[in-house]
Amino acid sequence: MTDHDHSTTAPLTRDEITADSPFTLPGFFAALADGDLLAAVCEDCGKRLIPPRPACYACGGRKLRVESQPKTGTVVSYTEVRTPPPALDDRAPYTVAIVELDSGARLTGRVTVPYADASIGLPVRLTARAPDADERELALAHEEAWPIHEFEPV
Amino acid sequence: MEPHVAAVGTSPFGRTELTGRDLFSAAVAEAFEDGPDPSEVVDAVYVGNQSESYEHQIMYGTLLAEWCGLRHVPAERVEGCAAAGALALRHAVEDVRSGRRDAVLACGVEKMTAGGTAGATNALSAAFDRALEQRSGVTAPSQYALLAQRYLHDTDATERELARIAVKNHANAAANPRAQFQRETDVETVLDSDYVAPPLKLFDCAPVTDGAAAVLVASADVAARFGGDDPPVRVAGVGAGANNIGVADRDLTFVEGAHEAATDAYDEAGVESADIDVAEVHDAFTSCEAMLAEAAGFAPRGRGYESALPPAERSDGWTDTHLSTSGGLKARGHPIGATGLAQAVEVYEQLTGTATPERQVDDATAGLCINEGGVADAVTVAHVLTT
Repeated sequence: MTDHDHSTTAPLTRDEITADSPFTLPGFFAALADGDLLAAVCEDCGKRLIPPRPACYACGGRKLRVESQPKTGTVVSYTEVRTPPPALDDRAPYTVAIVELDSGARLTGRVTVPYADASIGLPVRLTARAPDADERELALAHEEAWPIHEFEPV
Repeated sequence: MEPHVAAVGTSPFGRTELTGRDLFSAAVAEAFEDGPDPSEVVDAVYVGNQSESYEHQIMYGTLLAEWCGLRHVPAERVEGCAAAGALALRHAVEDVRSGRRDAVLACGVEKMTAGGTAGATNALSAAFDRALEQRSGVTAPSQYALLAQRYLHDTDATERELARIAVKNHANAAANPRAQFQRETDVETVLDSDYVAPPLKLFDCAPVTDGAAAVLVASADVAARFGGDDPPVRVAGVGAGANNIGVADRDLTFVEGAHEAATDAYDEAGVESADIDVAEVHDAFTSCEAMLAEAAGFAPRGRGYESALPPAERSDGWTDTHLSTSGGLKARGHPIGATGLAQAVEVYEQLTGTATPERQVDDATAGLCINEGGVADAVTVAHVLTT
């Protein structure tokens, strides 16, 4: 786990809050499209936050640094979406899980296996890819280039 | 000033041709049936409303103030997904408590059937984090299922135990003339229903509901102009708090925000969980009732699923509190922005002894409402009502 090349540390100045900054969603998804999953690590309490943001809700601290996250982790909980948002009708049913990465950071995402093949404790790896047609339909204009993250079994 | 519940009313709950403003009119008609007109007493209006996507209508503060004969009063919509109703109630309580206003109308309205299942699924998904959750295709049932799956994994609860909660709430709703589902069900029917998001099945889920509810919060003097012989009901305690929006970062089996909000409300009211006779908890899904029973201090950790049992048959450490006597969100109905106020209506009826005999809890003197928005405790509001 190494710091990302364009890592910065918070607190940020007003002028540093740009679409290039990993503390903003455009910056976070640009890094993810390059294969880098970023979290903000709170210097005060150690909490890892995905996506990065300029303040830690766990302790209120505003000193954070961006850190690349391991792609591997395990399923903490999971379910199956059977009645999806209309744009994703053709994709259903699909499996959704909360995954705890090996760093301790957690995030929600789809899992690329049927519900019956998922389980709590299942080892998975995060991947990111360009959105498919139905996912682009779900996207707002500023989200169209953002990658879709998924978890596949290791 | 001590805030009192001066008057309450609801529309019928369920699918209807009536629009949001019409449902509000029905709730106001009931609330003001035995009192002065709204224009004589109401100083401000707060409207709980989840989404403009159902009716393509915002400006609900202005609209509903106008629809009950008010002009040039402060009126605004309050948003917090399914907690919007209790947020509106909380604003009314704080306004009266501060002495700033004598009477404030807290109301909630939702016309959920307008867009069918797809419309409701889309509208509700807006409550989840856009960046990672929504773009992964999560839905309200799947978000709650992530919590339920882990709860069943970590406790002795089973899908059958959750089914008993649905059966209990249907039985309560069968005795509630306001309820959407005034009929009983049984454990096998619940267990045989289709999975919506496993381990949650159709009969674990609150329905899509059209409905409105209104609660007039007022000083003792104004409240005395309503209600006839009913004993006065006070709002003795309030607690509210926002937790983080992403489910992944929460404690998946303990609803921390609800624990904080309920504890704050108890402290303000000078009561403990064991003093609460009736509680309307936010059972958007059966698993929520189990988890909220623990968060509110009614049940020991991991034993909240026993809420369907009569108090005498529950584990040691349980209080004697009766949960979801209205039928809960599950069977009374869940018109999102109105739900927090519908909860207060039920507790008001219990405390005034005006609930139907089949569901009336004897000698109830203190009640709790817990209303949540987002998934679980993204935002939670708790109110303690007492006689």
